[in-house]
Amino acid sequence: MPANSVNQIAAKKTTMNKHILIIDDEASIRDILGQLLTISGYRITAVASAAAAIESVRQDPPDLIISDLQLEDADGLEMIARLKVILPNVPVILLTGVLFDQEVVSDVLKTKVACYLAKTSSLTQILESVRRLLG
Amino acid sequence: MKDKVIHRLLFFFLGIAMVLLAVAFQAVRNINRSVATSDWVNHTHSVILEAEALRTELYVGDAMMRTYAQSGDARDLAACREALANALDHLDIDKALTRHEPAQHDQIIQIESLVSPRVEFAQALLKARQSGDTEKVRTLLNTDAGSTASHDIQRGIDTLKDEELTLLTERDTASYLQAQTTRWTVWTGVVLDGLLLGGVAWLIRDDLSARRRVAAALQEANDQLETRVRERTAELVAANAQLSSENLERQWANQALEHQLRYNHLIVDSITDLVLILTKALNISRVNPAVIHLTGLDPTALINQPLTRILRLVTPPDDPGGPMRDPLAQALRDGRDLRGQAGVVEDKRGRQIPVHVSMFPLRDRDKIVGGVVTLQLVTPGIGTKA
Repeated sequence: MPANSVNQIAAKKTTMNKHILIIDDEASIRDILGQLLTISGYRITAVASAAAAIESVRQDPPDLIISDLQLEDADGLEMIARLKVILPNVPVILLTGVLFDQEVVSDVLKTKVACYLAKTSSLTQILESVRRLLG
Repeated sequence: MKDKVIHRLLFFFLGIAMVLLAVAFQAVRNINRSVATSDWVNHTHSVILEAEALRTELYVGDAMMRTYAQSGDARDLAACREALANALDHLDIDKALTRHEPAQHDQIIQIESLVSPRVEFAQALLKARQSGDTEKVRTLLNTDAGSTASHDIQRGIDTLKDEELTLLTERDTASYLQAQTTRWTVWTGVVLDGLLLGGVAWLIRDDLSARRRVAAALQEANDQLETRVRERTAELVAANAQLSSENLERQWANQALEHQLRYNHLIVDSITDLVLILTKALNISRVNPAVIHLTGLDPTALINQPLTRILRLVTPPDDPGGPMRDPLAQALRDGRDLRGQAGVVEDKRGRQIPVHVSMFPLRDRDKIVGGVVTLQLVTPGIGTKA
């Protein structure tokens, strides 16, 4: 019963109002994730491109980044590497619709991102990962 | 209930007002009586004092008359005349004072009838002495029944005085009773008003208690209602949050599914070989763009058509089954792959293009639901006609 779990997690709103940057070229993804994290008590910035993401990180450093793997103007991993130069310690959740083998993903991406989630993951799983990474 | 209490209060206040009016009426009446009694007492004392003064002046006049008879001194004459004049004045005053009291007035008249001869006697004796007629003076004195006349006057005055004192005593008793009545009236009124005020206080207290009970009951009902409203609001908020979450989760699942479908299409469409998705009955359910490009056929002309509409397997000459056998159907039934089978594709214009045919069964939980056919061109370009 994922919806109920989402509800329960959403009820535990953080008072710290941590800032999360969402990077995805699909508006529906940005919209749904933004709503979920907003009602869960987080402050959200959502952008569609790597250039906008870098600009946002410089102006308002986030506590967590959720990024798509494939963007219109850049490769997601390359962009993450550039963001890490600006904010070395910010955790990154890679959220992608490209299907990877989980074992391969954990070996290849563990040094680059804090967490990999398929877009087929439920919102409950995504929220749990966010809460785990933000403490 | 409210009207009933108000009626009772009005009744009590009406009772209090009536008692107060009765007490006030009685008190005013008694005050008027006391004033009248006081006037009467003063009046009666005046009558008695005037009678006593009359008595005194008669004594003085009689004494001066006898003194003058012996001395012939003018001063004694003057004193006698003055005393007699004063006695007559007191008598006139008493007559005036008793003019509205017939019994006393009669007594004064009776006293006057005794006093007048005595005054006339004195005036006659004074006149005789003044003229020097000593013989007449002696005669008058010898014939004077002064003591008897004086005694009668004294008795008349005493009677008048006794009667007046008796009346004073009666009036005093009546005044005392009036005072007592006034006291009783006032105290009875006070007690009655106290009782009525007590009743009013009890009614007000009872009404206030009832109102407090009603207010408490209303407050309790209001609190319960507010609690229920809060609970219901919390339930609605929770239900709304639940609905929002479910809606978000549904939107997310839909977009994920749509994304995966698009991604799968992308994969299939990106392959340059000809890919055809078949149903279990070997009907075409989907083709990739390479098929459209090669055959020139519109997808609507291919979908739901048998595979044989565009593909024919080439049977080797030494095949024992010959053209009657269908290796694709057999492989699909057996659930095995078929690779490298020779075949020809017929395009829109009827040209036949040689291809290598491979077929892979589609399994859904150990159940074969269809197959994927890939066609590789044997040689680039257009093949020979069959």
